[in-house]
Amino acid sequence: MGDAAIITLSAPTGFASAVRAGEFVDILCRADTSFDPFLRRPYSIARVDRREDTFAILVRPYGRGSEWLVGQPVGAEVDVLGPLGNRFDVPAKATNLLMVAGGVGAAPLMMLTDDALAQGQSVTYLMGGMSGDALLPVSFLPGEVEYVVATDDGSRGHHGFVTDLVMDYLTWADEIYACGPEPMFLSLRRVILANRMGKRPRVQVSVERTMACGLGACLGCVVETRSGMQASCIDGPVYDMDEVVWS
Amino acid sequence: MNALPQSITPDLTVDLAPKNPRELVLQNPVIAASGCFGYGNEYASIIDVQRLGAFVSKGITPRPRSGNPMPRITETPAGMLNAIGLQNPGIHGFIRKYPRQWERWEVPAIVNISAEAVDDYAMMARLLDEQPGIAGIEVNISCPNVAAGGYCFGWDPDMSADVTRAVREATTLPVIVKLSPGATDVVGVAQAVEASGADAISLINTLVGMAIDTRTRRPILANLTGGLSGPAIKPVALRMVYQVATAVRVPVVGMGGITTLSDALEFFMAGASAIQVGTAIFSQPSVLPRLIDEIGVWLAAQGIPRIGEIVGSAHPARLEPVDDELEMVNAVAAG
Repeated sequence: MGDAAIITLSAPTGFASAVRAGEFVDILCRADTSFDPFLRRPYSIARVDRREDTFAILVRPYGRGSEWLVGQPVGAEVDVLGPLGNRFDVPAKATNLLMVAGGVGAAPLMMLTDDALAQGQSVTYLMGGMSGDALLPVSFLPGEVEYVVATDDGSRGHHGFVTDLVMDYLTWADEIYACGPEPMFLSLRRVILANRMGKRPRVQVSVERTMACGLGACLGCVVETRSGMQASCIDGPVYDMDEVVWS
Repeated sequence: MNALPQSITPDLTVDLAPKNPRELVLQNPVIAASGCFGYGNEYASIIDVQRLGAFVSKGITPRPRSGNPMPRITETPAGMLNAIGLQNPGIHGFIRKYPRQWERWEVPAIVNISAEAVDDYAMMARLLDEQPGIAGIEVNISCPNVAAGGYCFGWDPDMSADVTRAVREATTLPVIVKLSPGATDVVGVAQAVEASGADAISLINTLVGMAIDTRTRRPILANLTGGLSGPAIKPVALRMVYQVATAVRVPVVGMGGITTLSDALEFFMAGASAIQVGTAIFSQPSVLPRLIDEIGVWLAAQGIPRIGEIVGSAHPARLEPVDDELEMVNAVAAG
C-alpha cells in the first residue's frame, strides 16, 4: 500500500471518545460550491486518539473523492458527517482475535486491533492484496500484532488468497473480523463452512456499499439479511456473516 | 417594489390546499422530498425536523416491497441515478408505525403513495383518511399501470385523471398529485389532474436515465435504468414548473435539483408556491434549515412582506414593467 495515506482529522471535543471500532464517517470530498463528486464518501475510522480528539482514516487515491481528499493541504477543513453505523462486537471473554483484511478494508480492523490490544487481547492480522504494494505497511500496525500477508502475485508472503491463511488460525481464534471486497467474504465463508470439525468461531464482516444519505433514509446501500433488506449505513456496516444472505 | 423597513419578518406561510376544509398550511415553503428523507426520524438527530414546512414520506405501496437488487444508486455529473424500487413496509405496516409517531410532531407529514392499479391508490387513500398525524397525501403517478400493459399513469392525462379522481373520492385529506417528467404533454396531465380534484400539483419526479460501467460493459444499476435527480435536472424541472404554473389555478410545488437559495427563488418565480428539496439533503442535510433561513433573509432584504408576492413573478403577464419593457417581453414571448 505504497500509495495509501493515513489522514488525521481533528474532531470536536468528545467525538473521538464516542467512536467505536466499525463505525465510519461520511466525508464531503469537494468544496461546498461544487457538485463534483456529488455524494459524500464513507470512510471507516482507522484510528482514534481520545486524548487529542483526533481520528484517522485510510485513503487510497483511486477515486475522485479520495483524490480530492489526499490533495487537501494540511490544516484544511473538511465537512464530516458521523460517526455513523454500528460497531464490531468484541466479547470481553474473547482472548484471541483474528483479523482478515483486503485492500482498504484494512482500516476498521486497525482501530479494532488497537482497542483489542488495549484490552489485553491477542490479535493476528491477516492481510491480502494483488501485490506487496497493496498491503498495509507493517508500520501501520502495533508491534504486538502477528501480521501475516498473502499476495496474488506472490511478491510478498503467501502466494494466493488471504483466506487460504485462515484455516491455520481457526482453532486459535475466538472471534473473526473481516473487511474487504465481496469475493473475499465469499471465499472466507467457504473456508469457515468447510471446517465441519471442531471450533467454528463467529465471523463479523464489515461490508462496503455505495451510499447516498448515510442515515438510513434513502435505502440505496442495502444488504440482504435473514431479517430482510437492511440499510448498511445504520444497521451495518458490520454484520454477522451468518445473518447475511450471500449471493 | 415597496420600500419596507428591513426589519420586517416576512410571512413565509403557504396554504397548499386553499379549497380544502382540512387545509394544508405550512409555516414555510420548504418541504423535504419523498424518498430522500425516510420517515422524518432518520434526520432528527442532525437537523430540527420540526422547522420544516413539511416532509414527504418514502413511497408507500399497497403491499410490502423489498425493493430492487443492488446496486441501487450511482453518482452522475451533478446528480445521481437511483432505482431503490420502492422498498417499504406496505400501507398496513406503515400505518402500524408512523401515524402515531407523527401525531406528536408539529411538522406536517405528507404520505407519498404509489400503486399499479387505480383501486389500490383509492384503497390506500381511504386507509390514510382516518389516521392521525397525517397532513396530506402526495400521489406518485410515475408508476406502471398494470391494466394498461405497464404504461406509466403519469404519461397519460386520462389515466392520471382516473387515479386523481379515485383518490379524491376516497379521502378528504389534501391531495397533491406528483407529475412525471416523462409525460409528453405535462401541461395536459396537470390540467386533467386539477379537473379531477387535486388540491395541489407537485413536479417533477426523476427523469429516467442510465449509466454504464465501461469495465464490465454493463449498466451499473441492477435495475438497468434509474431516476436521475440532483442539480443536473434543475433546468428541465424549472421549465416544467413554469409551464404548469401558467396552466392551472391550484398551488404548484416545484422540485428538481434545488440546492441553493438561487435555485429556490427561481422555482418560486417560475410559479411554485412551495418547493421540495430532495437529493441535496444527501450531501448536506443542513440545506433544509439553511434554505428556510436564506429565503426569509432574502425577502426581508428585498422588502417583500410575503413569499406569495414572488410566486410566478417570472411570468410575462405577471410583470409590471414600463411600457417599452413590456413590448420587449411580449416580443420575446411571441418568439
